[in-house]
Amino acid sequence: MNKETGSIWGKPGQWLVGALLLFPFGYLILLSWGQNWHFPDILPAVWTTANWASLVGGDTGLGRSLVLSLGLSTGVALVATGLSFWVARAVAYSPHRERWLWLAYSPYLLAPVLLAACWQYFFLVINSSGRISGVFLAQLLIAFPFGVILFTSFWTPRVRAMEHLVYTLGGNSRQVWQRVVWPLARTPLLVGFFQTYLLSWFEYGLTSLIGVSKVQTLTVRVFQYVTEANSYLAGVASLLLVLPPVLLLWVNKRIIFR
Amino acid sequence: MFKRNRTPRPWSPGLLVLFLLTAVPLVAGLGYALLYSLGLVGLLREGFTLQHWGAVLGSMVFWKSLTFSIYLATASMALAIMLALQLVLRWRDTWQSGWLSYGIYLPLTFPAMVVAFLVFQWFTGAGWFARLAYHVGLLQDVDQFPAMVNDPWGLGILLAHAAMATPFFAIFFGQLYAAEGLANYAQLAASLGASERQVRRRILIPVLLRRASPTLILYFVFVLGSYEIPLLLGSQSPQMISVLAIRKLQRFNLQDIPQAYVICLVYAALVLVVTPMLLRRFRMKAHE
Repeated sequence: MNKETGSIWGKPGQWLVGALLLFPFGYLILLSWGQNWHFPDILPAVWTTANWASLVGGDTGLGRSLVLSLGLSTGVALVATGLSFWVARAVAYSPHRERWLWLAYSPYLLAPVLLAACWQYFFLVINSSGRISGVFLAQLLIAFPFGVILFTSFWTPRVRAMEHLVYTLGGNSRQVWQRVVWPLARTPLLVGFFQTYLLSWFEYGLTSLIGVSKVQTLTVRVFQYVTEANSYLAGVASLLLVLPPVLLLWVNKRIIFR
Repeated sequence: MFKRNRTPRPWSPGLLVLFLLTAVPLVAGLGYALLYSLGLVGLLREGFTLQHWGAVLGSMVFWKSLTFSIYLATASMALAIMLALQLVLRWRDTWQSGWLSYGIYLPLTFPAMVVAFLVFQWFTGAGWFARLAYHVGLLQDVDQFPAMVNDPWGLGILLAHAAMATPFFAIFFGQLYAAEGLANYAQLAASLGASERQVRRRILIPVLLRRASPTLILYFVFVLGSYEIPLLLGSQSPQMISVLAIRKLQRFNLQDIPQAYVICLVYAALVLVVTPMLLRRFRMKAHE
């Protein structure tokens, strides 16, 4: 079946797939360094550092959006990971595990943006609409159930048996955490942190609705630049959006491929 | 910390937190939407009325939007599944070795908004592929490039979703292929005289699709309710369901707000009833 699994293309095939995978990055790099890129030019007519310079200076607000997105996603990921890890234990060992898991899936089935539409009133009531705190809470309500889904598979009967073993041997709950749970959970926690971070980092609909476009994260900026026909700054913002996940992928590589 | 021999009771603190952060917001949000749509709360409250429900359910715009969403979710999923199966069953050696085994994960680092932006950049009349076509002499003018963005068939949306889903499914099918030991089945079938085509059609594809069915259903629902991609690449009519609901919510005409909530509720009812049924049915099949 060797032929079926297909080295039919060999090296040229690998180069082609590789080029397809890298093309979007290359295109965004061209956009971010270009100006005056009009039809029918294949490459920008002018090369400039001005687009990237706007990150630290100028009134584009791109730098602020970067810092805001980094802070927001880190905060959401930290709280969602910690909380969902603890809650997932209760779900995993619950006699109604399937029902609770189904509840955790519900925000994703309903589409976060439609949920945000239904939540708008409540965020107005608690005076969080258009504020970072509101967007933080809204993103947490989406990232937290995701963490629960992710971590429920960590709390297996094996982990539970190991916990019980430590207790049987005279250990206390602190030792259970230090000697059993933490060594086993380090990697899943890291993966969970990355996943919830990306969930918040990529989020647009819910953020724009609860933030009423005042909380300008990078995704909100990309949409704003596209509608303003400023493709070059949209290119910079897009690259900024893509780079952290690529970095996380690189860091995460060993964990993913284990 | 975790207490000795503690088995969480039906209502342990952890489950209470899950209930408070998931069920309460869900019920509160949908409850508010229901009351608003019935004229019982909100700026326009006029006492119990079904006129907003009638307006939405009797409007072709809503049904067109729902059909359009289902069509796009089905078409983009079908395209992505076909491409992913092709990648796994025919060209696996091309991308499952060397740096490409890592590289295949790169498309997953693109948020929907950036994918939509790139499709917008590449496939508009003056986009990058139109420029390429111009330089190789395939077109002389911007208008000659086929409309793929903001078009009535949603080709740009379809393309964007397929581009996002294909690598995800390829990785997923690849992992299933290994986990299920499908290479052994294929070898066995081949040694019994099955042709490559028969092995693919009778064994590999059915097993992969059956095992992957819960994930495929969830992804279908994700595409059905997607927002950023149709917002950027869709046309004014028809619109995907999320875009239609949010546009109604944000219009200046206050009469549109209850209708937006009706759309949210109908969509919620649809996915909350149909998805579990499908999942149950396919999960049983997946384990047959």
